[in-house]
Amino acid sequence: MNLARSQFEDLFLFEEQMPIDSVDAALRFKSECPPDRQFKSENMFRFRRGRGDFHASVFAAFIALVFLAFFSTETGWQDRKLPDNLGNYVGYQFGLVEIEGRAKRLGSILKQSWVVPFLCLLILIPASIINLRASWKIRRWRQRFLLPTDAGYETSKYLAALEYLAYFILYTLSVPVLGYLISTIVMGVFLTWRLGYRTVKWLSTGLLSSFAIVVVFRSFLQIKTPVSIWLYDQLPAAARAFMLTYF
Amino acid sequence: MEALISGLDQLLQPAVMVAIVIGSVGGLIIGAVPGIGPAIAIAILLPATVFLEDLVSLVLLLGVYGSSMYGGAIPAILINTPGTPVNALTTYDGYAMTRRGEASRALAIAYSSSFLGACFSISVALLSLFAFGPYLRDLGALFGQRDIMMAAILGGVLLIAAHKQNMVIAALLFGFGFLISVVGRQTTRKVDRYTFDIEYLYSGFNLIVVIVGIFALSQAMNLMTGKDDDAPPARISGGVFRGFREIARFKIVTLLSAIYGTLMGIIPGVGEFVAQFFSYSTARSLSKEPSRFGHGSPEGLIASETSNNAVPAAAMIPLLALGVPGEALTAMMMVVFFDAGIKPGPDIFENNPDFLFSLFIALLIINVLVVTTLFFSTRLIARMIYIPNRFLGAMIMLLSFVGVYSIRNSLADCIFAAAFGFIGFILRRLDWPLVPVVLGLVLGSIITQRLTAGAGQIKTAADMINRPVSGTLFVVILAVTCYIIWHAVKKTNRFEQ
Repeated sequence: MNLARSQFEDLFLFEEQMPIDSVDAALRFKSECPPDRQFKSENMFRFRRGRGDFHASVFAAFIALVFLAFFSTETGWQDRKLPDNLGNYVGYQFGLVEIEGRAKRLGSILKQSWVVPFLCLLILIPASIINLRASWKIRRWRQRFLLPTDAGYETSKYLAALEYLAYFILYTLSVPVLGYLISTIVMGVFLTWRLGYRTVKWLSTGLLSSFAIVVVFRSFLQIKTPVSIWLYDQLPAAARAFMLTYF
Repeated sequence: MEALISGLDQLLQPAVMVAIVIGSVGGLIIGAVPGIGPAIAIAILLPATVFLEDLVSLVLLLGVYGSSMYGGAIPAILINTPGTPVNALTTYDGYAMTRRGEASRALAIAYSSSFLGACFSISVALLSLFAFGPYLRDLGALFGQRDIMMAAILGGVLLIAAHKQNMVIAALLFGFGFLISVVGRQTTRKVDRYTFDIEYLYSGFNLIVVIVGIFALSQAMNLMTGKDDDAPPARISGGVFRGFREIARFKIVTLLSAIYGTLMGIIPGVGEFVAQFFSYSTARSLSKEPSRFGHGSPEGLIASETSNNAVPAAAMIPLLALGVPGEALTAMMMVVFFDAGIKPGPDIFENNPDFLFSLFIALLIINVLVVTTLFFSTRLIARMIYIPNRFLGAMIMLLSFVGVYSIRNSLADCIFAAAFGFIGFILRRLDWPLVPVVLGLVLGSIITQRLTAGAGQIKTAADMINRPVSGTLFVVILAVTCYIIWHAVKKTNRFEQ
């Protein structure tokens, strides 16, 4: 089925343009002429700006502007030590101007804390502006050809990802309370269930995989876990020591 | 010779040998499972390596790095899904051969060409160590602070140039990574840079937190919010032993691809994709049947697999010789070097030559072990392809937690890793590259350190480039920058027409 669908999709120039949902119906319109599948090594670097690219480019430009806005207060720019006549000094660096007396060493300027962030912004700001311009042009082009430009679908994916991030943070919070072993097993089984693998076979696979992770990383490799765990503190001293050492 | 024997002696420790076996076989499996890849595996393993001996950690990571591309060829050839990103080119000819009923032939060619590519670059590295060892010890005098700073800048510029179709985005993300590297308190001047009075940020971002977030957590979310692939059944008939005989028919393509892979691996910031691009293009231009490329050409498969497997050993050269990582995986390995107290850079030839030998010999052993394993267990490893993507995503999330939380049991680390994971997830959705962020972070901190350390010797701008190495590198940087600008202008004009 997937193969048939991909063959059908090859007939269209744009991936969004497939008008028929039913693959069977679509295959009735399949051309006898096979699409050009000549592979070119340039294809390896092919990049296409999709939906959501413009919004991301705007956000990237916004972040770059935030860094620029805080440049004067967050980089030590206010305490800068620059020569009095900066224009002459720049000219002197390139051998265009002679300076009377002793010129300030360039090294003493380069050492100042604002210099490296300034270099970063020299890359970040132009790149974000050029990227925004390119993205805006593609968006206009898509609008002209009536291709979808809204980022609703992408936003729904981002929100779905946030749900899993919330589980990740909950997992982090549960470790000092329940311990690494129980938290990992609970999270492993829960995620397996949440993702739709709800048969006994998959739930036990999730449980065993989580247990294996704990054994490899905590029991064998002895990675660091909190010294004080609420649940382990309720156990008798010997059991507590054992659990703290191995799980 | 003494260094070689000492290096061998270090390798023969039981713990190191076990790490070689675990790294190689683990890397094979990781490579064979679409969705994980060596970057994610190394990101997860990094914090655990803190608890291991230096050489054991490095050999373990090298095993994963060196063997994952072999494993990645299996799903690329059998089900048209690359196991690792660099195996994408393998699908064009490998899968076409499978559809013709030549799966075992394609696998045999992929294994043997990968092995020859890897052996070629390891031999180049080992022979260079033998032949130029005494002279390499003098490299320390040639490479000062300014020279290494220029090499790091060149790495960044080449990285941007290597992203041919999205250089602007690569530059943007490199700048972002560079900016992240400056966050924190500058100890010498007691100035807080972009900390916004958040206590956690005073010590700057932890490299492992960023790496695990950007690579592993983002991929976990990507897999969990996606769909399970309905992979077609993989059928392998016949043996996979005859690959070497087949390679002998295409000696020139194999040799040229190995040379391209080695050269592109040595140049920082370039890596596997550019090596594959050059070797594939050259192989097609030399072929008697260029029209078969992309339709199951053995030469195409050889070009792709030989060049990408020649890169790992070669990529270790700039890392070891200059302390400048050329791509994301070697950047991650720098963390292990720092933890081990070994400072990669020109001085390593003077202080730890045995360490260098042991690393390259370990890579050689890894490759022999991997090919032997593959010849006997391809069918078994091929079963890994069918682990459902979303289940894999859940397991990667659990493993990412190990990676971040074990550093210092900090909730803040996990929150920042989650934030970077979310950024990485958005970048993956947009098809924006992730590597520039990590290399921006690593190369950025090298540039900052070297600039600060070398500032005392800079009186005027000319002092930045008046040494032979820094001057030469500056000329190359200028040339590549001009190419980037020319390419950007050309692309804009073409679009406006």
